[in-house]
Amino acid sequence: MSEGNRLSQNAHRYLDGEPHGELPEAERVQTDRLLEAVRAYGESLPALDETLDDAVLAAVRHRRPARRRTGWRWLMEPREVRMRPIWAPLAAAAAVVLLWVGTRGPLGPEAPALTPTVAADTVFVRFELMAPNARDVWLAGSFNDWRAEQLPLAAGAGGVWSTTLALPLGEHQYQFVVDGERWIPDPTAHAQVDDGFGGTNSVIVVGPKGVVRS
Amino acid sequence: MKSIGGLLTLVLLCLAPHALTAQEGVRAQLEARGLPAELVGDVVALAADAAAQGVPTEPIANKAIEGWAKRVPPQRITAAVRQFYTRMVQAQIAVRASGVADPPGELLASAAEAMGRGFTQEHVGAVVEAAPEPAAAGHGLSVATALQAQGLGPDRAVEIVTGAMHRGQPVAEILDMPSLARAMQARGLSPGQVGEQLMLGGGGMQGAHGRPPGSQPREGQRGERGPRRP
Repeated sequence: MSEGNRLSQNAHRYLDGEPHGELPEAERVQTDRLLEAVRAYGESLPALDETLDDAVLAAVRHRRPARRRTGWRWLMEPREVRMRPIWAPLAAAAAVVLLWVGTRGPLGPEAPALTPTVAADTVFVRFELMAPNARDVWLAGSFNDWRAEQLPLAAGAGGVWSTTLALPLGEHQYQFVVDGERWIPDPTAHAQVDDGFGGTNSVIVVGPKGVVRS
Repeated sequence: MKSIGGLLTLVLLCLAPHALTAQEGVRAQLEARGLPAELVGDVVALAADAAAQGVPTEPIANKAIEGWAKRVPPQRITAAVRQFYTRMVQAQIAVRASGVADPPGELLASAAEAMGRGFTQEHVGAVVEAAPEPAAAGHGLSVATALQAQGLGPDRAVEIVTGAMHRGQPVAEILDMPSLARAMQARGLSPGQVGEQLMLGGGGMQGAHGRPPGSQPREGQRGERGPRRP
């Protein structure tokens, strides 16, 4: 290599088989010696299988391009983009709507939580009902969208039905559902409020220290 | 160009569900719970009125769902939801008069509940003005309502809550007041004595369960706090 670095531009062109100018005698000898060395090296290599080219091409044809890389190339490579001018304001409008919806949420900022909470903190609250003759007892309230058959109470000794629920801090309204049809309030709750349907909802206010009822 | 147009169409299609109006959200919520079409239409119409006045629509939808879950006839559900909506509007007037122009939904729901239990616009205003933020006012009103239900009276209940807020007590501590009041009453204190203790910030003198530290629970005492979630 060091020898090649000292060659003139004409000598390089000569070695590359390109048109070149007149070479000094010494340089021509040197370049001829290099060409002879290259030719000898090539002849010393083992002959390749004639089917190798076909095999490589077949393998390349069956190799699927990586999708991510293709997509990324599609995005990054400069290319000519042609579009109707009308799409520009439409795209801008879509971006504005996207930002607006993203900050507003599906129901808008006025959409409240019925069970307000001060934090993500939750407290386990135990619910009990004395119902010795009940076949089953369920708990339904603002914390489960009043689904009557989602939170069952377990029967215990003495006809006491109970369950323990993790509730977020804040106010919760609820009722017990006995035998799937009777909605009854919890007499131990913090408050009883008119539910607007002729019944009474029980209210507990869950604080960090839990719930104390009578 | 086709690819750009397709991309925009895809974006707009993705946005469509989020671009539902409040009424459409209510409709979807009600239909998902299986309410009949006529009832859904009535409630959605009320929700539209509410949205036009800046009243949150989700409590209205939830009230209808509550009635449906309790198997209340649709006509009575509509009447109850309309009454609930009217109370929300009154609560909104009271809260806005206290300087909160755009009250959050939970505050309006709490204020409506309080006013339905005899609290006046002045009571609501006092709690709203004392609260460090509108959300805290909602919790304060819930606590005041629960204290009133335990025999303290609206004036005293509001005085206790606003006093705690003025002292800078965290909202979480204020939320403990109904349980503390109940525990004190279980120990034999009268509502007046309970009020005095709470005014003095006296909840903290109790054991965590409303019992003096180290004492045993009374026979039959129920509804105690469970373990904190890990």
